[in-house]
Amino acid sequence: MTQATRITWGVLAAVVLVVWPWLTDDRFLHHVGVLIMLTAIGASSLHLIIRTGHVSLCHAAFMAFGAYGSVLTVMSLGLPFPIGLLVGTGAAALLAATIGPIVLRLTGKYFVLITFLFGEVVRMAIVENVALTGGSNGIFNVPPPHPIFLDTRAYYYLALAFAVFAVGLCARILGSEFGRAMNAIRDGERLAECSGVPVIRFKVIVFIIACALAGMQGSLMAHYNKVLSPENFSGIISLNLVVMNVIGGMSSLWGALIGAVFMVMLPELLRGYVNIQHIIFGAILFATMAFMPGGIIEAARRVKALLSAKPDASAPPLARAGAAE
Amino acid sequence: MLEFLSRLEILLNPTVLGQVIVNGISLSAIYILVALGFTLLFGIMRVVNFAHGEFAMLGAFAFYHLTKDLNWPWMIALPAGVIGVAAASLVLEWLVFRWFYQRMFESMIGLLGLNMMLIYGGVLLWDTHERNIPAASQEVLMVGDIIIPIDRLIVVVIALAALSAFYLFIRHTRAGLAMRAAAQDVETAETQGVDTRYIYKVAFFVAILLAALAGSLWGQIYAVSPHLGERPLMMAFIVVILGGMGSIPGAALGGALLGFTESIVGTAFGAAASAFLSFGVVIVLLVFRPWGILGTPEN
Amino acid sequence: MTTPLLKIEQLSKRFGGLQAVADLSYEVAEREILGIIGPNGAGKTTAVNLVSGVIEPSSGRVFLDGRDVTGQKPHVLVESGLVRTFQATTVFAGSTVRENLRRGAFRLLYPGFLATLFDTPKAREARARTVAHVDEVMHWLGLERFADHVASSLPYGIQKVLGMGIGLAARPRIILLDEPVAGLSAEETDHVRDTIRLVRERGIAVVVIDHNMRFITDLCDRVLVMAQGRELAQGAPRDVLANTAVIEAYLGKRYAKAQR
Repeated sequence: MTQATRITWGVLAAVVLVVWPWLTDDRFLHHVGVLIMLTAIGASSLHLIIRTGHVSLCHAAFMAFGAYGSVLTVMSLGLPFPIGLLVGTGAAALLAATIGPIVLRLTGKYFVLITFLFGEVVRMAIVENVALTGGSNGIFNVPPPHPIFLDTRAYYYLALAFAVFAVGLCARILGSEFGRAMNAIRDGERLAECSGVPVIRFKVIVFIIACALAGMQGSLMAHYNKVLSPENFSGIISLNLVVMNVIGGMSSLWGALIGAVFMVMLPELLRGYVNIQHIIFGAILFATMAFMPGGIIEAARRVKALLSAKPDASAPPLARAGAAE
Repeated sequence: MLEFLSRLEILLNPTVLGQVIVNGISLSAIYILVALGFTLLFGIMRVVNFAHGEFAMLGAFAFYHLTKDLNWPWMIALPAGVIGVAAASLVLEWLVFRWFYQRMFESMIGLLGLNMMLIYGGVLLWDTHERNIPAASQEVLMVGDIIIPIDRLIVVVIALAALSAFYLFIRHTRAGLAMRAAAQDVETAETQGVDTRYIYKVAFFVAILLAALAGSLWGQIYAVSPHLGERPLMMAFIVVILGGMGSIPGAALGGALLGFTESIVGTAFGAAASAFLSFGVVIVLLVFRPWGILGTPEN
Repeated sequence: MTTPLLKIEQLSKRFGGLQAVADLSYEVAEREILGIIGPNGAGKTTAVNLVSGVIEPSSGRVFLDGRDVTGQKPHVLVESGLVRTFQATTVFAGSTVRENLRRGAFRLLYPGFLATLFDTPKAREARARTVAHVDEVMHWLGLERFADHVASSLPYGIQKVLGMGIGLAARPRIILLDEPVAGLSAEETDHVRDTIRLVRERGIAVVVIDHNMRFITDLCDRVLVMAQGRELAQGAPRDVLANTAVIEAYLGKRYAKAQR
């Protein structure tokens, strides 16, 4: 793509994102827009972690910290939403800073197992801690960030702003020299370390940023839904974020975004068929991992290479997160 | 502190103690059954079977339908259901699992997908309400002051018999020998004339057999529902991390540790406390010894 | 006498019951090429791993420029000017040669997290400097014509040179090479040997490990022979080759007797 076409596309995308709520009066489509924006935060932040070679199955646990932290600050302490958002985001970051240095030393498979268990621990802790969290009933009547945001269109813009911030931050990190070091870590951890990259420290930094963003999403989600319960943060939510990254393709941030759009739209189309929807997600996960580990992005690349009919020596290898075993 | 001690004191009551021991043994045996299959698949095929718990679920449902709907006697329904599930699962082996052999990372995520398909397929088929398999026996056995329910005893005996059979199989048959060779080094085993495709099938069959059996026994103790597999899966993770991934004695040791912890701590302090404790221990162990108690470090 | 660039004192490592390296001591001066040879399992690679911080020694000390750096992590040692290459995973296989070298130049390239995030003037300057440096390394190692080739598509010999290049991109003062010619043809071996000489001409000290006797004796100023984790002999290549213990270790006792 040339610079000019890139700018054209960028402007086009920006215009669509901004005018989206005014293209239709259907509140349901506004709602879908909000969900896509918020989900994009979670998916792109998880993408950061995946890019260091670790697939986390407890991203929803950090969302839970963000959501409960924020909601309790606002509802129990009576503080305004911005402070709640900061507390929630900070709580998630703090949790990440505590467990990150421990779990990020583990190799791929152990990391997957431990994060799976950890997500379960957090969910159990929420259910058990009835006095604070309302247990499995959850918390109701969560106030919106501001009465203005009771309108879905207004909330869309709030979500859009945070999504642009989060995705932009992720993109900036990946495009920087820090991102280059992350790629080096994923492709060859020992070689990266011996080239001077402080591997563990970098992984922890990525983990903290990503989990803080997840906390931010949790907070925004809770104040949008106006209820929160442990089921919003179960393993299946974490898994859905992984699915987004996998179907999109784990080698590029675009993959995570495509995956997020897809994974929000599909359930809305299959409303009332929740079980079938899960089965379809499961089938997608299986099929992608079995036959196309590079996801949609890689498939598109291959189709393009096939069409241009030139064997492309510089095609990047398949996503190899966790392959450095 | 006082409360802590008084809760521990409950364990001294003979009736409670008897239950704790019987519970400990039966839970251990079930966990070992699940974890053995899990560790076998990992050791030989390098597959992390996130769908392992669902085969336990299928085993429990098979057992439930055979006893409840077809009125088969207990003694026939159990082996028939278990073998039936394992045999039917060979279709899944062909459709799903074989793509992931020796591809550890892809297997984890891909089989998480299979896990979702099986759970929600189960929900479609059976909905989420819980069912009970009729108890094999209502009788109890008195040993001194200790009361032992007969059906629990049956669970223990069957599980131990299955574990012994597994041990004999892996130690003393040609297929078992080939499996151990493949677990050590697939490529060398292949050059030594081991037909890996065949061995993979056998190992898969055995692993699912054990899981389905564990599920049936689990269904005897707890309720049967499409979500039955989630706890055994979680426990299999904990057991194999405790014992060491791919290590068969490790699975046995880890299962026993976890089963008794759950039985003792669960009785004295409640299920949540025992769950937090086992998670905590596993997390600490992962930090200092990720290859487990009886495993060997990589590289 | 000036302090040696690298000084190893009584370095030892046990793995469980196995004594992988025992009481190893040596020095490397500026601009020197030291060869470490020995049969398979002699503990050569462990010796490199201990010095480069990949594993921690059980006992003994490592001094870099007179400073005790024992047990420091590899990325810290890179900052101090000590780099190493690997026997197997020598390069980032999926990336271009240029990208490989840029990754190797991390130390020069990375201006700090916030600086790189906001692309400050400092970050831009570091990048410009590194691009020039990477071009220079490519020129110097004869990798220019492969600049945009993916590493895995290159012949094995070129990959080995690129592996060295990744280390050199960090502007080291000393580089440890773990079997740089293993699996190479005679011609490729000569190319690697010449490249190592070029490295020394740049004022960089080299420690090179191999079991190819001809390659090592051709190249090195001094040679250290290891067997079963211990030093057998140390000195100029010619003297070491004449050493009875060395001949025994390499060719067997009977051959050593016949030579006497």
